[in-house]
Amino acid sequence: MASMTQIEWEPCLLTQHPAPELERRFERETGRPGQLMRYLEGSPWLADTMVRVSVQVMTAVHIDPNLVDQVGLVISQDNSCRFCFGMQRAFLRVLGMSEKRIAQLEHELLTGDFNPRERAALEFARRLSRSKPLTSASDLLPLRDVGFSDEEIIELAGLAGMHLFLNRLSTFVALPPQPMENFPDQWWLRLLRPLIAAKFRRMRHRGKPVALLEVDHSGPMSDFVNALDGLPMARDLRIMIDRLWASSALPARTVTLLFAVVARALDSTRGEREARGLLVGQGFERDDIDQILTHLASPVLSEVEALLIPLARETVWYQPAQIQRRCAALQSQLSNEQFLDFLGAVSLFNSLCRLEVIVGMRT
Amino acid sequence: MTLALGVALGVTILVLAIVAWRATRESKLLLRRLEAAATELENLQMAFSRFAPNEVIERIIAEGVTDFGEKKEVTVLFADLVGFTALSENLEPSVLVGVLNGYFERMSRAIGDQRGYVSTFIGDGLLAFFGATDPNPWQGNDAVHAALAMRAALADYNRELTKRGLPELGIGIGLHRGTGVVGLVGSQQLKEFAFVGRAVNVAARVQGLTRNFAVDIILTETLKQTIDPRFATRALPDTAVKGVEKPLAIHALD
Repeated sequence: MASMTQIEWEPCLLTQHPAPELERRFERETGRPGQLMRYLEGSPWLADTMVRVSVQVMTAVHIDPNLVDQVGLVISQDNSCRFCFGMQRAFLRVLGMSEKRIAQLEHELLTGDFNPRERAALEFARRLSRSKPLTSASDLLPLRDVGFSDEEIIELAGLAGMHLFLNRLSTFVALPPQPMENFPDQWWLRLLRPLIAAKFRRMRHRGKPVALLEVDHSGPMSDFVNALDGLPMARDLRIMIDRLWASSALPARTVTLLFAVVARALDSTRGEREARGLLVGQGFERDDIDQILTHLASPVLSEVEALLIPLARETVWYQPAQIQRRCAALQSQLSNEQFLDFLGAVSLFNSLCRLEVIVGMRT
Repeated sequence: MTLALGVALGVTILVLAIVAWRATRESKLLLRRLEAAATELENLQMAFSRFAPNEVIERIIAEGVTDFGEKKEVTVLFADLVGFTALSENLEPSVLVGVLNGYFERMSRAIGDQRGYVSTFIGDGLLAFFGATDPNPWQGNDAVHAALAMRAALADYNRELTKRGLPELGIGIGLHRGTGVVGLVGSQQLKEFAFVGRAVNVAARVQGLTRNFAVDIILTETLKQTIDPRFATRALPDTAVKGVEKPLAIHALD
């Protein structure tokens, strides 16, 4: 853990406000303390999204939930998200994972003692997280070689995407990592661990396959959502995306521009194609779209868009403290809701555009 | 008989307990050493990340040094100090090294802030790449922004040097975009992460032209085609450079 605590991390950008109803909902649906929701109270969309994603990372239909938890730890470490890493580490400790095993996940992913399925899944999740370049069909071969079915691969990618969302959001606003980092060392945890573990296990349930409704097959980013059809997360994603595009804080065209920029940065051809189509539908000229995506600037951008577009590209690959400072510089120029919706939106686009490979599996 | 059996059983339990206790202690000790070694490895990895991208370092750790290489389109920035040879003859060696290190520190920061990767320092020269480590569709604009940031950073540094009674520094920067191979290059004893291709030579030659045209930043037409047209550039006469067949179309950056 020493190396994670060495990662430079700015003071939290958000202040806490009482949100009893949100806290109760978070605790009821995830079984975890809901204080986190006090930070997100300013954005109804982001608060709702946070609850949904937090539930979904604990809901596996096809894959062993233990593997999903390990994926969460590995991705959090790869993204240098101290908050998520601390949380995931504490979660695994409470569930009874040994220090030795956690150390292997942290330090020996390439050389440690993992069975072939675990190693293939963890390496695939890390490839998705990095996306340098974007994951392609050839990256699925090691998974298939060790017996992963298409359903399992799609779910693995989707769950990794959910973790990527949490990593990004937590990093951008610099959620304070210390409480989570110190949590496993609390004296009382040893006494209560079996009880807490039992509660966590109850919440971390096997999900049931759920097909999307006919009406859910269309809407922004439908290729990505439809690729996850059959998993409970697909329905939640449809709701999150539709609500984001209907957000009162950021106009739909601004949200679409952010989607286009993240897709361009990741070389997500499907994402960029869809975003371009949406922008044309919203009245943009093709030349203007070209100019925006080539130079991240254009006279047709609004004042707020001119601020957000250059920062959107920074959210794809970053050093935590550097992106936190850039987010802090932006914060004073936006309303709280705009700021939160922007960070939530780019976090969501970063996770979904990285899943392009599974869209290809379904078409 | 019963007493003897009881004693034997007691001794056996005691021995087993001691063995179990020692095994537990050894196991904890080993685990602590393992963790310390892993932490040390990770710290080393973090230290090495200054010399090559993380993915490359992980491959080195996992597979040993390999002949890793990848074809990429990269924007090259080559910078050199103007009149540094004369300066070096007039300054105390320790002062000279201090001035040079201060310069490299500021230039590296300007490049890093624009997502550039400083590959190497060659004497008083500096070679940096954009788009070599992470995919970067905006690498041309980033490189031009970096060149402008270097110009501003040098102006600040010169004010500081003047206050200290030291001579001012001048800079020449050449920028070009082209395809080449990024990888681990060098001998078995010394390898570095580098970009190999004609684009590096062209950027170096273009940097040399800054003196001929008395400007500080020159970019090639190839790069200009890809950057934001709102950058203020001025066409210079097409100029022949060594190693390139036709005269190069070049522009000064104002």
